[in-house]
Amino acid sequence: MSVALEFYVHRESWLHRLDPRVKLWGMVLGFITAFLLPYVAAQGALLLGLHLLLLANRIPWNALRRLWRQMALLIVLILVLQPFFAPSGTEIVTVGPLRLTVDGLTGAVLLATRAMVIAFIVGALLFTTDQRALVQAFVRLGLPYTWGLTFSLTLRFLPAIQQLFVTVREAQAARGWVAEGNLFRRFREYLPVLVAVIIGTLRMSDRLTLALAARGLATPTCATAPRTVWHDLHMRRSDWITFIGITLAFLAISFWRSVFSG
Amino acid sequence: MLVAEHLKFAYPPSGPGLPQTEALRDVNFRLEIGEVLAVMGASGSGKSTLCHVLAGLAPRYTGGYVSGAAHAAGYDVLEAMPPAGVVGLLLQDAATQLFNPTVEDEVAWGLEALGTPPPRIGALVEEALARFGLLSMRTRSPWALSGGQQKRLALAAVWAMRPRVLLLDEPLGGLDPQGRTEVLAALETLHHSGVTLLLTTFHPQAAALAPATLVLSDGAATSPIPTAGVLQDETRLVEAGILYPPHLWPSLEAHATPAAVPAIAVQDVHFAYTDGHAALHGVSLEILQGQFVAIVGPNGAGKSTLLRHFNGLLRPMHGTVRVHGKDVAGRTTGNLARDVGFLFQRPEQQLFAATVHEEVAFGVRALHLANADTRVQQALARFGLTAFAQTPPSILSYGIQRAITLAALATLDTPILVLDEPAVGLDGREKARLLMWLAERRAAGVTLVIVTHEMELAAHADHVVALANGCVVADGSPDEVLG
Repeated sequence: MSVALEFYVHRESWLHRLDPRVKLWGMVLGFITAFLLPYVAAQGALLLGLHLLLLANRIPWNALRRLWRQMALLIVLILVLQPFFAPSGTEIVTVGPLRLTVDGLTGAVLLATRAMVIAFIVGALLFTTDQRALVQAFVRLGLPYTWGLTFSLTLRFLPAIQQLFVTVREAQAARGWVAEGNLFRRFREYLPVLVAVIIGTLRMSDRLTLALAARGLATPTCATAPRTVWHDLHMRRSDWITFIGITLAFLAISFWRSVFSG
Repeated sequence: MLVAEHLKFAYPPSGPGLPQTEALRDVNFRLEIGEVLAVMGASGSGKSTLCHVLAGLAPRYTGGYVSGAAHAAGYDVLEAMPPAGVVGLLLQDAATQLFNPTVEDEVAWGLEALGTPPPRIGALVEEALARFGLLSMRTRSPWALSGGQQKRLALAAVWAMRPRVLLLDEPLGGLDPQGRTEVLAALETLHHSGVTLLLTTFHPQAAALAPATLVLSDGAATSPIPTAGVLQDETRLVEAGILYPPHLWPSLEAHATPAAVPAIAVQDVHFAYTDGHAALHGVSLEILQGQFVAIVGPNGAGKSTLLRHFNGLLRPMHGTVRVHGKDVAGRTTGNLARDVGFLFQRPEQQLFAATVHEEVAFGVRALHLANADTRVQQALARFGLTAFAQTPPSILSYGIQRAITLAALATLDTPILVLDEPAVGLDGREKARLLMWLAERRAAGVTLVIVTHEMELAAHADHVVALANGCVVADGSPDEVLG
């Protein structure tokens, strides 16, 4: 089974121990901060900080590299296309109707680093939080258990769906399918694979429905007792300190931004 | 405790104008507390349907029509779903039953659903893991486990909920011999735990755990009869498509001496996966045209990895693979499909077409082979699929899905056949079809390369190659290698 989309890295670290609700709060503030700071240097510093944070919390280089690889296509698309959508400022080169400008290029680099910052903020949550704790965090924040479970199962089955795609492609290649022709033709040839993956995913979800029902998700218990939690979440002192710390840091950045950038 | 009276079940038609599919016809039995019943039947005989009906899942979650009566632990399961934890069900495909991040979380999930007080959950999880030999892997991901370990975990998760009735659907299904041994040992412990147990199987070893057995054949059931008598009646088991003992197998001998020309030549092949796991370390071997070579070895030895080099699905990091004298480095997998027919494990994951006919015809069309229609019709007939030609492959049983992948392979008529565990999970009837086809291919001079855990099959090969830890550790005649 491919694990390319499996995020959680089992380790003992401060970030792993941090209450997932605090991590979720940090993620929300991180998103807003990424959008508040329109400077490449600031985004670069955030990105570097996130790398250091993850490495310090024993997330291996391999995991970080994998995230870069998964984001690579998006980053390349942003860097190639974005400059031409904002063609203002000093011109560098013009090809037909397309103008490449300094502002356009800077905007593309800013957008690309911002995308990576967001990816690494989400990564910081998913690399260090197992799905069970994540579901429990959502439940404790007021979401119904089944919503949290659905989110967790979606994460859980992403690798299986990815593997399904690879398996179907291999099965077709082994029976003589060769990718050839122009991009449009290749895309058309991929359609049956996508259909097969969708059907496969639906079958997987059918079997999962049976498995969940067989283990009592949808049925009342004899004693009609509510669902319990083996390892429930508890906010410790260090969680509260972190919560207050990141909130103050966020307020400081917001204040600085509103005062100095008018 | 577990009762079926005149139980009948039919699935809704799979398309407009098509008839319902009768899955169970008049099943009757009565099990008292602590009794064990085996249900033997070939693939598609209605075993899974029976389990789903008794667990209250069918027709509730599957659709279909039911009549008669079914009671489990005093609950009318046709009337309402029994309360959580009363009836435990082990699904045939254990991997899909597992959805938690770690082994211990998997066991705890059902206990949480029952509302068990958290301090008790730890002790119950511990007990279940210990009982099924899983304590050492409690923090591992369920998906990283072997097939046998996954079945044991699914069993532990169900058993931890202390069901009064336990239904096990093909507990040995799809497992290699090592996995079967592990699960059989786990079933032994259940057998003596006092739970009322019904298990479906086509493996005599599993049926032997029950004093009584009911034989299902196309949905029709016998009354429970002593298991010893059932297992001794080989003719009956063969006729019901359950067994195909080696003494009935066709000859897999070659009709001519293999030519001294290599069909596949592997020279010093090294391979590592992107996660850094090195799977092959300098493998060299030569497979002659017309030869039957069996590749054996424990799980993780690199057998499937090696096989995937023969049709270009994987490329060596070092070394060469030649097919009919040509280096595969310059050829795509699609291109190699003219020379190498490849059968994957887990047929259910590779079926992608809307109908069985489309699925079987895919390769013939992709390779633009002559007489496409005739090839497809012959392959459908040969593997007993003509009646299913317009059915979506995804709704058929494991054995029939395996037959579809074999039929798809047969249409290509390649000079080399590379088969990865072709016999795993097949009942007697399906195994007979497979072996008859292999015997015919052998007679036609086709080169056969088969990865197998079944020593009876490996013993028929001209040559056996044993792999361990990514290296060839033995290479010789079956007598020399298998002893």
